[in-house]
Amino acid sequence: MAGALLGTRIRENRKALRLTQKDLAKVAGISASYLNLIEHNRRGIAGKTLNTIARALSVEPSELSDGMNQALVDRLKSAAIRNKQIKTEGDRIEEFTARFPGFARLIARQSDQINIRDEEFTILSDQLKHDPYFAEAMHLLLSNITTIRSTADILAKNKKIPLETSNRFIDNLANEALKLSKTAEDIFDYFEPTSEKQVTTLDLSPFEVLLEKNKFYLDDLENNQRTVDEILTPLQLSSEDYLKTKNSLNAYAEMARNLPINLFLEVAEKHSFDAIALAKHFNSDILSICFRLAHLPNKSNIPKFGIIQCDASGAVLYRKQLNSFSLPRYGGACPLWPVYRSLSQPLQPIRAMLDMPMGDRFHTISFAYPTEVAQIGMPALTEAVMLFTPDYIMLPKISHAQTPQLAVGLQCTVCSRRECSSRRASYLLDNE
Amino acid sequence: MKKSIAIVEDEPFIIEALTFLLENEGFGVSAISDGAEAINFIIKSKPDLVILDIMLPNVSGMKILEDVRAIDEISHLPVLMLTAKGQKKDRRAAEDAGVSKFMTKPFDNEELIKHVKLMINS
Repeated sequence: MAGALLGTRIRENRKALRLTQKDLAKVAGISASYLNLIEHNRRGIAGKTLNTIARALSVEPSELSDGMNQALVDRLKSAAIRNKQIKTEGDRIEEFTARFPGFARLIARQSDQINIRDEEFTILSDQLKHDPYFAEAMHLLLSNITTIRSTADILAKNKKIPLETSNRFIDNLANEALKLSKTAEDIFDYFEPTSEKQVTTLDLSPFEVLLEKNKFYLDDLENNQRTVDEILTPLQLSSEDYLKTKNSLNAYAEMARNLPINLFLEVAEKHSFDAIALAKHFNSDILSICFRLAHLPNKSNIPKFGIIQCDASGAVLYRKQLNSFSLPRYGGACPLWPVYRSLSQPLQPIRAMLDMPMGDRFHTISFAYPTEVAQIGMPALTEAVMLFTPDYIMLPKISHAQTPQLAVGLQCTVCSRRECSSRRASYLLDNE
Repeated sequence: MKKSIAIVEDEPFIIEALTFLLENEGFGVSAISDGAEAINFIIKSKPDLVILDIMLPNVSGMKILEDVRAIDEISHLPVLMLTAKGQKKDRRAAEDAGVSKFMTKPFDNEELIKHVKLMINS
């Protein structure tokens, strides 16, 4: 029956495009009377004529023939199954598809889109629920709103408040309104990674904020112009943040002492900023060299390095991202990054060039290391770092010629490598 | 004698608004921001009611609630939890820990006062 309806499908498609038989026949290079016979299923067609008519109707030839039509029928059946609560005429789907191919495609497409949206909504909803940044931002928002609502209500309903008190409440309102707009801006920045405003403070520790503001190079510590305590005092931190920040600053100061910046830069230039060669020269571990390279002055003759440090679960411990290589805040990064592979090969540096979907390229060194002495019967705890730079042209030429090239992305939802076998979430732009 | 209320809350402007509202109703009010010091503060100030936030520096309000219920001399105190964490699981956890009343931020001033009076007078 379906085969006999080929002409019917041509007629319905033609009518949907508001073409006359004469118009379509002219495009197809046949007579209008012959087309009339085809449309009334009195003449069969195939090959060139079918292809030409299909092209004129902006459909695939197979959509007019039985095979694709069956695919469309199957999509409609799936749509009916997904919406069991609506009773459909299941035994007449083929007839409906043949008589109203435009509507059939519309229903199938809308059903597919709704299905994709549902899945996308579930993924996004799950991400938001488990996103500590968003939870913290919402908490701040609610606190701001609570103060504003409560204070405004007091001012509105208590006309005899002493002037001093009402002035203080008005100041509180102004302060909270300012904080509210700042929090809103931070949230906007969070969902708008291309925003020029790179430093948001909500999800960063005080040490990270300090580093971001100083472009990851603390000149004062490098040149002994200020002590750790002198840097800490004006920050006015809580006791917990104070201790954490002090530890981080001490670690930075130790790096600056062990690999003094002027000497390091002099040697680094000779070795074209190659981490492996520098580790050999300084008789130092690769980890320290990677961190040193990620914290250099911002000058045009010095390559820009980013770094990501993660534990064995892939959770990010430390990160310095570059504009062209943004690192996801919480998990969800591309599993093909060599930093994850290095976790299974501790102490063996891995060099690789990363090719991003948009054409950006990065030279990387990944290195995993045990964080404590292994004990019998217990797995060794391991962490890993990946040092990356888009300025690979400034590195030794031999290195990138002999380096494996990896086609990777940042994370699945923003990666257009549709055929990637490691994909675990849909590319968001594929939903149309 | 004035009934007294202890507020454990880390947002200074919320403390200020709560203090005004409660003092306006004739209650004595004291407040503390650091979760780590909250239990000692409650033991010392011996309030008639505790208003407790969940997200506090150093020690969570949920832990403070558990401690209040575990310490004999304060275990009887009514505790009103006032929090931005209004999800079902937070409410259930607070109920399991023995909260007397659970309210979410932002709150309605009159509603809050109504519940405070009910709790203190019962």
